[in-house]
Amino acid sequence: MKKVILIALIGLILYLPLSSQELKITGEMWNRWTMEGGKAPGDSSNTILKNYFSLERGYLGLEPKFSETVKGRFTIDIFSSDASNDGAGLKLKYAYLDFSNLIPIPDLTTTIGLQKVYFGTIYDWNYDLIGKAPSDEYKIANSSDYGITFNGYIPKGWGEYALGIYNGEGYKNYGANLKDNIEPAFLANLRLTPVGGITIGGSIMANSNGRNKLLADNTTNPNYNQQLLTDGLLRLAYGPLDLWIEYLNKKVSYSEEFSIKDYTANCLSIFPTVKLKKLIGQDLDLVGRYDRWDETDNPANQNLLNCITAGLNYKFMHDESANPAMQLQLNYVYKYYDEEESSAQYANKLKDTSTLMLQLKWRFNNTITL
Amino acid sequence: MNRKILLLTLILSLTTLIAFAKTTITCSGSTTVLPIAQATAEAFMDGHPDINISIRGGGSGVGIAALINGTIDIACSSRPMKSKEITQAKSKGIEPIPYAIALDGIAVVVHPSNSISNLTIKQLKDIYTGKIKNWNELGGPNLPIVVISRDVSSGTFEVFNERVMAGAKVSSSAQLLASNNAVTTTVSTTPGAIGYAGLGFVSSKVKSVAIEKIIPSEQTVKDGTYKLARKLYMYTNGKAKGAVSQYIAFIQSSQGQKIVEKQGFISLN
Repeated sequence: MKKVILIALIGLILYLPLSSQELKITGEMWNRWTMEGGKAPGDSSNTILKNYFSLERGYLGLEPKFSETVKGRFTIDIFSSDASNDGAGLKLKYAYLDFSNLIPIPDLTTTIGLQKVYFGTIYDWNYDLIGKAPSDEYKIANSSDYGITFNGYIPKGWGEYALGIYNGEGYKNYGANLKDNIEPAFLANLRLTPVGGITIGGSIMANSNGRNKLLADNTTNPNYNQQLLTDGLLRLAYGPLDLWIEYLNKKVSYSEEFSIKDYTANCLSIFPTVKLKKLIGQDLDLVGRYDRWDETDNPANQNLLNCITAGLNYKFMHDESANPAMQLQLNYVYKYYDEEESSAQYANKLKDTSTLMLQLKWRFNNTITL
Repeated sequence: MNRKILLLTLILSLTTLIAFAKTTITCSGSTTVLPIAQATAEAFMDGHPDINISIRGGGSGVGIAALINGTIDIACSSRPMKSKEITQAKSKGIEPIPYAIALDGIAVVVHPSNSISNLTIKQLKDIYTGKIKNWNELGGPNLPIVVISRDVSSGTFEVFNERVMAGAKVSSSAQLLASNNAVTTTVSTTPGAIGYAGLGFVSSKVKSVAIEKIIPSEQTVKDGTYKLARKLYMYTNGKAKGAVSQYIAFIQSSQGQKIVEKQGFISLN
């Protein structure tokens, strides 16, 4: 029976794109070298902890266009690394359909399926730095989740908005990692571009964790909590400078009887980029980022992390729309904790860490007319 | 002393190089606008030997994406920019400013031997969705219809799609071609074919069909009675300055508009 279902699924996956008008085949690979050093409390120098090559991401995608108003996207991530237990892995990253005429509002698209989440900078994040977007990095929100989103653009380039409902589990969680929630996550996102070069906006997401508020015997579930995630962002782009400032807040509330466990965590992230192309003629960017992730209010995982990243981004091959097809990224990431609590589990028993990463990222795409 | 002479020579050489360096304008996008851009650029460069204009096609979508990525000075487009594109541009600090440079009508063309001379928008939609398959269903010859359309990065396709198809799917049997010239050439050599292209690409080798009994002409495009009339644009990042401003002003001048007409398009005035 399982074989029949598998064959039917493979058949459907192959049939759907082939029944489309056009099919875009895409790929994106991240070949990375990572060297990480760390210092335990009392150590005077760093010890090299990791030094390895890996394929951190191997995205392969099909983007069928069924009509002018219906498009799909199916992307898998094949990754390989000696650092992971199994050596390699496979994840389904996106599997959704976009309907642009389902609701008769101009420039409104309804997205159904496993899709990008419009929370904070996750949606915009195109990995100009090797690291993840702050809300993804500090596990505030998932970068991809199952659900439905209504996303649209305000006429005349005034901005964009999104309203979504998701599982709230993300695409990576499984087994014991699952939040085990039965309530969906609700999201609202707004971006405004009042004038060229200035973007202001924010997101709000309500989520729950721990299944039911009450247990089967009608007593209060000590694990049940509600999460309110908020984000405010400002982007300033002028000439060669592109600056993102993001503030994230996560409020976790337990039932009244367990309100002692309530906590708030927040993150301030500043991400400047200086584009040197006009100055030196090469598509070279200087990138930097500072994150301050404050979870000191969380009794289970008290920590105050500072993370500084500096790097270079050299885009040496482009497609016809001037999007980078190949780029070399060099990042140095330094993480340190404000308090001498570095023997705690959260800090991986290290006071601070330094990571050097060199990554060759390459993309390709081709559109076939069927 | 020698050092001073060397330094002076170096400064003089650099000054000379800068003084004689050519200003380059990069321009890419719509294949419909391409002949206008090429012809006006040639005439403009004749009068401005210090300015070099580099022009590429690729389609309106490609040109607009390159403008958003900050890699070109002018994006040529046969359609207005979409809200999504304007938002993306503004958030990157690019303020797209449109300059209308010509008027155009999307001409629907058939093989010269075809007796059909008028189509309604509905009939056109039915042909392109595959609902009408033979010319005899419209009172024409008993000949299967060969549908020719444009590729998706084309602004001409987007305007045709919006005004004729209204979001309906183009028949999977349609041939999607990458340029206006490819469309007219294919139609001219295929008796059952139908295609569409900018007016500037229509020659005696194909027959232009009236839409809702109105033939695309200077008058019907200017007065807006032709359903598939449109403006052709050049987009710049912010108000055009320097050489870019001079070039666009030249296209919009009476001399430039004469070149627009010579290319088979319709002048703004």
